Amino acid sequence: MSEPKIAVDLILKKLTESTEQAKTRAQKASEVLLGPLETDLSTTPFEVVYEEDRMRVKYYKPEKVEHKYPLLIVYALINRETMLDLQPGRSVIQTFLDNGIEVYMIDWGYPTRKDQFLTIDDHVNMYMDNVVDFILDKHDLPHLNLMGICMGGAFSVMYSALHPEKIKNLVTTVTPTNFDTDTGLLHIWMRKTHAYDMGSAYGNMPGDLMNLGFLLLNPARLIIDKYVGFFEHIDNKDFVENFVRMEKWIFDSPDVPGATFRQFITDCYQKNLLIQNKLELDGKRVDLKKITMPLLNIYGKFDHLVPPEACEHLTKKVGSKDKEDICLDTGHIGIYVSSKCQRLFAPKIVAWLREREGTPKKPTRSRKKKTPSTRTAAEKTASAAAPVQKSRAKKGETTPTRSTGKSTKKQ
Amino acid sequence: MDDNHQTTPEEMFSFWMKSAMDFWQNMATVQPEAFTPFGFPGFADAGEKTKKGPTRQARKSFEAGGKIFQSLMKTFSKPENLDALMKGMDSVPDLTMVMMKQALEGYHELQKQFMERAVKMGQQGKAYNFEDIDQDTFRAIRELYEKEFQKFLKVPSLGLTRFYQERFNDFLDKHNLFQTSLSEFLYMFYVPIEKTAAVMQEKIEEMAEAGEIHDDFNQYYKMWLKILEGHYMTLLKSPEYTQVMDKTISSLVQYRDAKEAFVCDLLQRLPIPTNREMDELYKEIYHLKKKVRALSKQADGRPSPKKG
Repeated sequence: MSEPKIAVDLILKKLTESTEQAKTRAQKASEVLLGPLETDLSTTPFEVVYEEDRMRVKYYKPEKVEHKYPLLIVYALINRETMLDLQPGRSVIQTFLDNGIEVYMIDWGYPTRKDQFLTIDDHVNMYMDNVVDFILDKHDLPHLNLMGICMGGAFSVMYSALHPEKIKNLVTTVTPTNFDTDTGLLHIWMRKTHAYDMGSAYGNMPGDLMNLGFLLLNPARLIIDKYVGFFEHIDNKDFVENFVRMEKWIFDSPDVPGATFRQFITDCYQKNLLIQNKLELDGKRVDLKKITMPLLNIYGKFDHLVPPEACEHLTKKVGSKDKEDICLDTGHIGIYVSSKCQRLFAPKIVAWLREREGTPKKPTRSRKKKTPSTRTAAEKTASAAAPVQKSRAKKGETTPTRSTGKSTKKQ
Repeated sequence: MDDNHQTTPEEMFSFWMKSAMDFWQNMATVQPEAFTPFGFPGFADAGEKTKKGPTRQARKSFEAGGKIFQSLMKTFSKPENLDALMKGMDSVPDLTMVMMKQALEGYHELQKQFMERAVKMGQQGKAYNFEDIDQDTFRAIRELYEKEFQKFLKVPSLGLTRFYQERFNDFLDKHNLFQTSLSEFLYMFYVPIEKTAAVMQEKIEEMAEAGEIHDDFNQYYKMWLKILEGHYMTLLKSPEYTQVMDKTISSLVQYRDAKEAFVCDLLQRLPIPTNREMDELYKEIYHLKKKVRALSKQADGRPSPKKG
């Protein structure tokens, strides 16, 4: 009798083993899910020092200030800035603090229907300018360091071109400035569809709708495989905590003010005005040649949302003599949260800033240790969800502020 | 009277007209007390004596009205007019029938075409190729809707409420168009799953033939996921997908606008401000704030938020 081609006995044995494993995992999972979980985001203490309409500024003070010029971080309107302080050991903010940098970070908040008329000009020349003036007044300085992220990076480029005298050094990270590329589905869809009309139809562009769009960039990984992975590690407390933390961040998406959304798509994605020095904000032309301060431009090689082609033209167009491009082997989110980039990204910025302050010293990384499972969860999600991850820490975000009573509110 | 005699509608109508005429003739000759205010005979006296006042005027009006009604009835009762009237009334159910027939025919046609296309949908399975997506199915459904059903929602509305009716019809129309676009969009997302299943089937058959079946099911999942991801990437990059997505977005925007207009009509009846009203207010506030900020900057030289 010939031997069967298919090893049925082996398959059955494996099936029995899998069933046993699933049973054990389910038992452990119930203990994990029903027990206490540490899933808070943005746990580094901060103080709210400035408020204007929906926007507020978080101030992170280092134990010892080692830099003369504070750093203002401008995040995108599409996500929340909590990504820079996702968890202990994976916090760009913490690395900056460990290296003595005073950090101010804009939290754009949650736009409501009344914010639908706010334009890019309002964000750049009103909110950003008011924040910069506030910080300069507070420190009695003529300029500060500015760091922009994604859409916030584009805002920072516009701001630096219009107010170069207030910026000492400019750092742009995953910042789109050239939109004339077919690399990346987002660029194709924004150029070839009437997506900008949704801003008008809804008043503001709903964050949930944008999230759906981002999920559709890679449905197999982001809608199916990600959750299969979660169930495979559901009995691992660290994994679950990190996964939930990432989920909180991803799906916490503020709406984008309708007018800004429309303007960004038509002027940037469709007409590509910024890189051509043709963009106008409230009648003032944004001339990139006026960016003469040192510029550090960092982007991800595998970024599907803002591909290298969208970022790398900036340094050729600005008027700065001191400029540098850094392309990291990572994606749009991995640049901030992957363990590899924790060693490369924030420390590089610290060293670059320090060199331009004339106080060279080896930068240190965030002091908190991370566990191997922590790395797995955040990195897995970050790389799988290479498309923009967004989040809103309405409920989950715990923000242990030093003092919120001291905040300054401007109406 | 002949028991076998069938009463025609004309005869019945003629009989009813005559009865109605007689009734109102009698009413017109009723004693004036019947028309006194509050129905009390005594109240009529003053009016009767003076032959003036509201009672007399009411009576005159009633008599005039009765006479007009009588003359109308007489005119309608003439055999030639009665015949024309009956024909006119016949046309009402005829019109309804024609409309019903058209709608039903359209529905049957829609169902027929949908079934034919639905069968065709399942016949596709060519891997990594999305040029053969049967978009004609959805185009046919849309065209059929536009040809057979949409016209009923586009019938001109009349009268005082015409604009409300028009907005409601527009809301229904845009909803239907959005649903059609959404179905096509969702179908596109289903196609890669279908294609992946076909590819997996082939692969497993080949592996079984070669005796290379894995005992680890995770391997099959990984294989399936890789194929599915490949199919999705091919789909998402295709111009067909971009086109369908654009159509879905446009129809969603139109549906939202139509719904907003309809909801505004409803809310106007309630003490709730509509989005339209609030948006106007928000816009005014936005411009006012801008103006105040500019003036404040001019006055201070620089914005001066209070320091913490």
